[in-house]
Order: sequence, then C-alpha cells, then structure tokens
Amino acid sequence: MKKHKIEDIFSSLEDFSSVPPPELWAGIEEKLDKPKKKKRVILWWSAAACLLLCLSLPAVLSDSGNKIGNGTSLEKNNVVLDENKNGENHKKSTSTEDQNSENNNEGILNTDSEKVTNPTNNSIVNQTKETAVAENNSETENTSKTARSKSNVSKSNIINSNTNQAVADGKTAKEKNDQFSVSGNQKINSEKQISNQAVAVKNYNSAKENRFNSADKNQLNASETQKLNTEKNNSNQAVAVKSYDSEKQNRFNSAEKNQFNTSENKKSNNEKGNSNQAVAFKNYTSGKQNGFNSAGKNQFSENEKRNLDKVLAEKTFTGKTTNSFNSTSKTQLPNSVFENNLNSNANNVALNPSKTNSTERKPNMLSENKKETLDRTQKSENAIAENTQKNNSKNNEVLTKQDSIQLIELQNIQSGLATFLEPREKEKKPKTASSGEKWAVEVFAGVASSENYKNDKTLGNVNDSKQSNSYGVKTKYKLNKKWAVGSGFKINELGQSVANVSYISTKNNAFLGTSDYLIQNATVPQIATNESYVLVSNTTRNALNSNNVQSGNLDQSLKYIEMPLEVSYAVFSKNKASISLNTGGFVGKLIGNSIAIDGTSIGENANANSFVYGPTLSSTVQYRVYKKTNIFVEPAMNYYMNPLSSQSFNQFQWGLNFGLNVSF
Amino acid sequence: MQNNREGQLKIYQLFSPVLYGICLKYMKNEDDAKDVFQEAFVIVFQKISQYKFEGSFEGWLKRIFINKLIETLNKKKKESFFLDVFDPDTDFIEEEELETIPIEKEKLLEYIRDLPDQYRTVFNLYVFEHMKHKEIAELLKISEGTSKSNLNRAKGILQKRILSIKNFKIA
Repeated sequence: MKKHKIEDIFSSLEDFSSVPPPELWAGIEEKLDKPKKKKRVILWWSAAACLLLCLSLPAVLSDSGNKIGNGTSLEKNNVVLDENKNGENHKKSTSTEDQNSENNNEGILNTDSEKVTNPTNNSIVNQTKETAVAENNSETENTSKTARSKSNVSKSNIINSNTNQAVADGKTAKEKNDQFSVSGNQKINSEKQISNQAVAVKNYNSAKENRFNSADKNQLNASETQKLNTEKNNSNQAVAVKSYDSEKQNRFNSAEKNQFNTSENKKSNNEKGNSNQAVAFKNYTSGKQNGFNSAGKNQFSENEKRNLDKVLAEKTFTGKTTNSFNSTSKTQLPNSVFENNLNSNANNVALNPSKTNSTERKPNMLSENKKETLDRTQKSENAIAENTQKNNSKNNEVLTKQDSIQLIELQNIQSGLATFLEPREKEKKPKTASSGEKWAVEVFAGVASSENYKNDKTLGNVNDSKQSNSYGVKTKYKLNKKWAVGSGFKINELGQSVANVSYISTKNNAFLGTSDYLIQNATVPQIATNESYVLVSNTTRNALNSNNVQSGNLDQSLKYIEMPLEVSYAVFSKNKASISLNTGGFVGKLIGNSIAIDGTSIGENANANSFVYGPTLSSTVQYRVYKKTNIFVEPAMNYYMNPLSSQSFNQFQWGLNFGLNVSF
Repeated sequence: MQNNREGQLKIYQLFSPVLYGICLKYMKNEDDAKDVFQEAFVIVFQKISQYKFEGSFEGWLKRIFINKLIETLNKKKKESFFLDVFDPDTDFIEEEELETIPIEKEKLLEYIRDLPDQYRTVFNLYVFEHMKHKEIAELLKISEGTSKSNLNRAKGILQKRILSIKNFKIA
C-alpha cells in the first residue's frame, strides 16, 4: 500500500467520464428545436414604434392645426407688441430636449474538388488514379468465439481530378471485426493542396444471433496526410459509417463496436494549414435483444502527428487482442475513460477483444514516421460487455474497460467540428471587430418642459412652461468599457405659454391699422409676423383703455431638428443594468415656428434664430431585456442659448426620454 | 443551428462522456446532473459562435458546464451556500497521508457526491480544475478563507470515509 494524499486518491477522477443516457440527447434536440423567440424583438420594436407614434402624433396634429389656422399666412402683416419695461426682458422661452443614451468542412465523402498533386504516401507524384477498395476478410467461428474480418481500404487518389476517394464497403458476418485502414496522403512541396479522404462503410446485419459471445466491430482507421513545405493545405477527412443491425440477438455477451481511428500526420513547415477531419457516425440498431449484457461501443480516435519525414500511413489492424480485464460482475454501467497517451509511436492501436484466451494482436502498421508531436488520446467507451457467466467458461469473451484505446487529437476534434467552425473561421475577423458590441443604435421619444426659473415675463405676463415632445435616433460608439461617444438626430419642440396676453385684432376693426400703432410706438419690437394682431402689454392696455383690446393665451412653439454630440461615461454596470452619465452639446436648426392666441395662429415668431446651440447633460438608466436589446430611461437637462435673436435669453429645459437601444 | 444537427451530434458524441462526468461530480443526485447536462449543452450549441478559437474547445465546453453547474447550485441553495467562514483554528488541519488500497472510481465519485454542496464544489474546482483559492473565491463570490475552509472540511470528510473503508476491510 502506498501513502497518498486525498488529492492523489481522488485524482483518478480527474478525467472521469460517463456516457450519458441516450435520452438526454433527445432532450437537448427538443430544446434546440424550440423556435427562437425572435418575436420578442419584433414586439419590442413594435412597442417602440407605437410609443414614438403616440408621442409624435399630438405634435404633428398641433403643427398641422396651426398651419390650417394660419390660413392666409402669406399675409405679411406685422403684429406689434408693446414691451413692458417693468417686466425685465421680454423673453420667450424655448425648450428643447436632448437625450443621450448609451448604449465545412463537412464530413464529405470525398467529392470535394481539390487540387491533389499528391505524391501520396508512396511519394509518387504523378499518380493518376489509385483505387483500392475494400478487402473484406471475414471469418466466422461458429463455436464460441468471434470472427473477424478485415478490410483494408486504401484511398484513391486522383491527381488533378481533384478527388481522393477511399471507399470501403465491409460486410460482415455474424461475428465480425471489420477494420478499415485508410492510408493517408503525403504532399510535398505543393501549394494549396487539399486532400480529402473519405471512408464510407455500411454494414448490414440482419437476423444476427450470437450465442455466448459476439463481437461486432467496425474499425476505420484513416490516417491522413503529411504535407511538407506547403503553404496552404487543407486536409479534410471524412469518415462516415453506417451500420444497420436489425434483430440482433445476443446471448450472454455481445459487444458492438465501431471504431474510428484516424491518424493524421500533419504537415510541417506550413504557414497556413488547416487540417480538418470530420467523423460522422451513425449507428442504427433495432430490435436488439441481449440476454444478459450488451454494450454498444463507439469509439472515435484521431491521432495527429507532425512528421518531418514521409509518412507511410497505411495501416492495417487485426483485432485479435487480449482482454486483460474482465468486467465480470458489474452491472450495465457504461464507462468511458479518457486517456492521454503522449509520444505514442503507434499511430493507432485498437484492441479488439475477440477471444479471451487469445493474446494475439496483430497491428500491421506501416508507418515510418518521425513523430514530433504529442498524441493525444481520447477514448470514448460507450459500453463494456459483461460476461455474467464467466465462471462457466474461460472461453467466454469479456470486454474490458480498456479493451480499446483510441486516439483523438485536439486539432482533429476541432476539425471534426468542421460544420461549425469552418464557416466561422471566415467570419472570425468581422466578429472580433464587433465582438465588444461597439456600436449601438437608439430610438427614443420623450417629453420635455422648459422652465422659467428667472420669472421672465412677456408682455407683462409670466411665461409658463409648456410641455412638448421629442423623438429621434442616436448612434453610439463605445471607446472602451467606460467611455462612449454618440451622435444622432432629434426632433424637438420648444413651447411656451403666456396667459392673459392682451391683443388687438385689427381684422375686426377697420379703423385701426397696425401701422397706426406702430407709428405711435416706434420702439415696440415685433415678435410675430401677422399684422392682424397687435399684442399689447398690460401697461399699454391700461393706457389704451379700449374695448378692442382682448386677452387670450399666447402659445409659442419652435420646432428644431437637433444634432447632439455627446460623451458618455458608464458609472455603473452590472448584469443587465447599467447607468451612464452623458454630457456634450447640440446644435439645432429651426424647422417649425408658430405663435397662436387661443388656438388661432397669428404667424411666426419673427425673432427666432434659425440655429440654436447649447450644452446638454443627461443620465441613462438602461436595462437589457433581450440579448442585445435594451430599454432605457433618460432624464436630461438642456440649456438653450440665445434661441431668440433680439434678446439675451437662455432657457433651461428638462426632459425625460424613453427608448430602445440595440447594440451590435 | 438546425442545419448543423449532425455537427452538434458529433460534438455531443465526442464530449458528452467527460462533460456528463463533470455534472455527476458536481451534482448530488443524478437527475439534477442530467438536467444541468442538457441545459448546458443547449447553451453550448447556442453560444458556439462565441468560441473564438482561443484555448481548447474542450476547455471552453468545460467552462460553460462548470458555470452552469455553479449557477444551478447557487439557485438551489441561495441562502446557505458558501456561508462558511474560515476559522483558522479548526480549518487548518494537518492533512494526513493515507495508506490505502486502490479504490474504484465509482466509489470515489460516491464519496464526492455525498459531500455538502459547498464543500463539493470547492473540492471539485480545486482538485479537478486546478483552480487556486483566489480564483475559486472570485468564481463563487466567496472569500478566499471560505474557500480554504470548505476545501479542508471536504478533505476531512473524505479522509474519514476512506479510513472507514480501510477499517472495514481490515475488520
């Protein structure tokens, strides 16, 4: 007994593996087949569109209403107001709102078009076509042991016809052990060479009845190519095996094995080399009835080697092996063991237990390889056949836990995933570019309200804030985890209401023209373009003491298209939520201008500047609702500088925006 | 994805034994292990495009599985999971070297699965994934001391179990 630490004792479990029950794959498939919830995204976008529409509808309607009310807006009459000097400045507030937010190679059976200037393993360069198909030697032993059949398959290489094909068709008898060995190709001093190798095996077994012991094995050994001094080499290897067993009845012990051993000898001095190997395996078994123990064994092994020398990769395995371990009394717990064999000189070793007493193993391998590389072994043992009657006879066949060793190399594993990874390699570059979700597009809509903090007055009346709407799109670019810059377009409307504004409507008074009033009040600034209405201040109203003076609510609105430029800093980011602070500035162009008294348009504000600008500050609270889709709420503050030309007037505006953000 | 079903099957066939083995090591009962196994594999196939060829594919798969396992364990025992506090007086137990006969893997697995969730998780991460206490602490959102404490306690329990076998055999 040795002394061990706890870790040492349990280290044997490090590579512990166990074959999952077959129904689990069905469950996974079911889950994968469920339709993706892309509808959710559509739903969110629809919601955003509706929100936008709802919020913008009043603005659009009111705008059009004003225009209709304006009617004869072509009349270039002047409306004049009297400025209340006591009321500090006449200021018209405008409001805006700014928003910131952050935001295969398949297992092809060698039909691929390739350039195979294949000197092959025989180092023959101009070999035209070489086909070797399937020798099946089957032996049947009816007594008690297994029969084996050998199939040696070599590929066919067609130079310049771009196909390499190796086909093996093995038919087995009742008890069989079929091995297919496919040798590889060797390529020397060639550029852009691709060699595809495919092995297809179909086994049809019907009405199989084995007594005592049966071992049904199919082995495919494919050893693939060596490429020297190549720049771009693709080596694709596909192995497809289908084995159909029907009504198999095994008594006592039966083991069915399919083994794929693929050894790939890799190129050296390659700059860009892809070695892809795909292994497809299908095994259909129906009506299998095993009296006591049955095991299906699927083994995949791939072995990759880098050789500097030529590789003669023709291998033949004969599966007469020894069973060193008897899995006697164990129940049907399938075990699978992964092992790594380093520096194994054998390209492929397959131990096929066919007889208990025979310790014969014939690996016929012709490989003269200088092995430079690691051989990584992965074994997948799906089952262990057990002999429940081992006490009855030594001759019963027993499959051991390690009755087969298969080599699989990491690179081949990856290449085995060709259907996934190959196309993605091409996409790799663009993906990495966008991997960090650098860009984000936002749509948003919100409400805004300008505030009259200075208690500004117009015509002697206090300006009231007027709610307005805004909406727009914005793009953001993430500079790093914390910082981002953004810009976009926004339609914003500034509004202001002044209650109890006095005015004289010249439309109803033929004797009083605005020119008269203007003459009398030469210093009165002009704020609206419609001369049918004369706005008068409270003091003037008292002075006039006229019955013609009326009063009403004055509404102004200025519509801008703005372009903000912002910098964002993420102050908090956890899980799906994030908070960021945004600051920057904006410029806006006036696109709409109207003044109305009691809903009746009286023209435009003559003093409105065509362009506005100002700083903006906002905070975005964002939550990821689905994959790359976020919703956000954004309180914002904008400061409009000099929206009116004739006055020194700046205005704060508060806003609250809601929106959707999609990052990519 | 649908079109890649064969590819998915290949991946499944190649890696499912070792990944299922991991699930068995982390989860106390087999049904839970199966559930996590399925869910994690679905995640794998959904996120396979995110594999950037950095590191081994198998390593990438394992990380997904371990994250999923820990997430599941955390959900199961949100209140009491990893609340152990490191106690230097009791947790620095000198580890004994055991004289023992080879023990079957199944038996060892059973011992591990019998451990309390938090001990088992730390033990698995430390012994099988070769993570340092600092890494474990970050992953499990616990302190390094707690990680050490859990590991020591796990070892203590396992040590007792192994000694009990030995005694049993001697008797």
